[in-house]
Amino acid sequence: MNLKLEAREVTGVTVVSCQGRIVFGEEATALREQLKKLLTTHRQIVLNLSGVAYIDSGGLGTLVGVYSSARAAGADIKLTGLGQRLRDVLQITKLVTVFEVYDSEPQAIAAFQRGTS
Amino acid sequence: MDFQTVIGSPTGSGTGSGVFPTLVLIQNNEQRVINLDHSPFTVGRKVDKDLVIADPRVSRDHAIIISENGSFAVVDQGSKHGTFVNGERVQRKTLERNDRLEFGVRDVAYVVFNPQHGSSNSAREFLSQISGMHISDETTDLEKLILFLEAARKLNTIGVLDEILMTLLDVTLKLTRAERAFVFMKNELGELRLAAGRNSNGEALLDDKTISHSILDDAMRSNSEFVLTDTSRSLDLTGRKSIVAYDLRTVICVPLRKPQVQTTRDTDAPAPAAAAEAMGALYVDSRFASRDISGVSNDILHAIATEAASLIENARLVQAEEAARRYQQELSIAASIQQRLMAVTIPEVPFATLGGRNLSCKEIGGDFFDAINTSDGLAVVLADVSGKGVSAALLASTLQGMIYSQLTAGMGLVDIVTAVNRFFTHKHIGEKYATLVIARIRKDGDLEYVNCGHVPPLLVCNHDVIRPTHGNVPVGLLPDANYESNRCSLHSGDRLILVTDGVTEAENAHGEFFDNERLEAAAQKGTLEDIFTAVSDFCSGTPLSDDCTVVELVYTGQP
Repeated sequence: MNLKLEAREVTGVTVVSCQGRIVFGEEATALREQLKKLLTTHRQIVLNLSGVAYIDSGGLGTLVGVYSSARAAGADIKLTGLGQRLRDVLQITKLVTVFEVYDSEPQAIAAFQRGTS
Repeated sequence: MDFQTVIGSPTGSGTGSGVFPTLVLIQNNEQRVINLDHSPFTVGRKVDKDLVIADPRVSRDHAIIISENGSFAVVDQGSKHGTFVNGERVQRKTLERNDRLEFGVRDVAYVVFNPQHGSSNSAREFLSQISGMHISDETTDLEKLILFLEAARKLNTIGVLDEILMTLLDVTLKLTRAERAFVFMKNELGELRLAAGRNSNGEALLDDKTISHSILDDAMRSNSEFVLTDTSRSLDLTGRKSIVAYDLRTVICVPLRKPQVQTTRDTDAPAPAAAAEAMGALYVDSRFASRDISGVSNDILHAIATEAASLIENARLVQAEEAARRYQQELSIAASIQQRLMAVTIPEVPFATLGGRNLSCKEIGGDFFDAINTSDGLAVVLADVSGKGVSAALLASTLQGMIYSQLTAGMGLVDIVTAVNRFFTHKHIGEKYATLVIARIRKDGDLEYVNCGHVPPLLVCNHDVIRPTHGNVPVGLLPDANYESNRCSLHSGDRLILVTDGVTEAENAHGEFFDNERLEAAAQKGTLEDIFTAVSDFCSGTPLSDDCTVVELVYTGQP
């Protein structure tokens, strides 16, 4: 199982740092379960993917799934730390129009502060 | 009728098959299995025969099959058209395994004697046959036991665990002359559970309430090969409740230890420091009121101890292998069904030519492409379902069906993808989605397409390669997604090329990707085949990690 998730609070926003791979199987399941749990008590989440070397189609599906669940529950997830490959994938799949992607963690956190959600 | 038990079944009751040889009657593409459970076994046209063959060429009393000294022979009863064994007309012939018998008629109906196919060859049958073999009277019980157990171990046809356990119990009962025998096996939690039980009357025993669990537990914990408790000699029976309660006289427990690989069968070699852990135990007892089994030979118990565990282990392995084989078979069937669904018949239209090629690296996958001629033009779709394996394939086939039917019904491309998206998000299949490109070209060159999160198509017009960036999100991801199509006009010679990401993400030995530049270069210069050649040259030896599909639509224009 090659995925580690660490959560910490920064001025009221929960930052979840991911380390490893987000792929179809155990990793995608781990991401889904842990974020779902977090979403029961936290409304504002920044997902930092700078430590993620690789996401496959299954992982992407989980990411979107988790995002949809969050929105449905009145919460929001913003992304940061995307590598070039992931940016390209989000571009091709037009999911850039769905996710809010920020260049850095502070920028993502600030976006929550501004009330942009 | 002279009833002869041809093979010595260890128990008196021969219930059902598994003890007697079989005849398989093959007639008109049907097969029927018949047990040869008595002698003489009659064959003929008369309705009271054991095997009735209703054909005028078969005599009323045609032939009989009799047993003699452990083997069988077919004897013709003066039939009009003869009895044949393996094509040769015979009067009387001893039968051998797989012999083909015909009575009067050739090639209409025939009987195979004791055929050798896995499903009819149970462990019990085999072992029973061995016990019916001619062994000299000097053969001790011990030697017979070893013979049984070694032979059973060599079985690599279906060794159903239950049957092997029952046979083990029967043999143990016979040789120890005990009243009851049980086999206990450890479950996943390491707890001993009753697997099978038998008494000397051949009855199955279904509960272990009256056995001495304390002795069983002691035996399991011990390092010994077997533990024999003769209560008439024991002075202290505290804690041995069952022994007292059920008047048990002798209890023998043989822990079944997993066979350890031995490089030599050197009996002088020192025994391992601690005995291997037991996977179960054989328990045998008898009461005071019955026979005294405490004198049972240690050699017999030793043989049981060493051979029985191997026997059971082998049966387990065979069962696991069977299960894996069956699963693999089902997977193959699924794969071949998918192959058939995937086989695209390229429709012929006067204004365009279509070609597609797929390079699969997986047996069953989530890519597909299809082409359908509709009243509104030639439609082509290329899709890639997320994930791998059976689940992706299942979705791919469903998607293919939906799109096919909607295209033939004349639905618009945007409506089709919207409907597909609604279907899949509604069904909450759990993050399964697909990227796809669906395009339709009319005879006047009008091209409409919808790209749902897929690798952008290539438009090759006058040797220029255009990558339109217009697109939408994939289908099956977002329930309220809106889809839009894009349109353009093609001129004679223009080409539309669709690829899956297996092409752009094909890797070579240096970890570089084939990527868009190389793809566009290859598409500009050549055909479908050239693109594939470019990919394989690039990868040169590095195996594909994902399926590659390329579809090329050439608009030839109206004449």
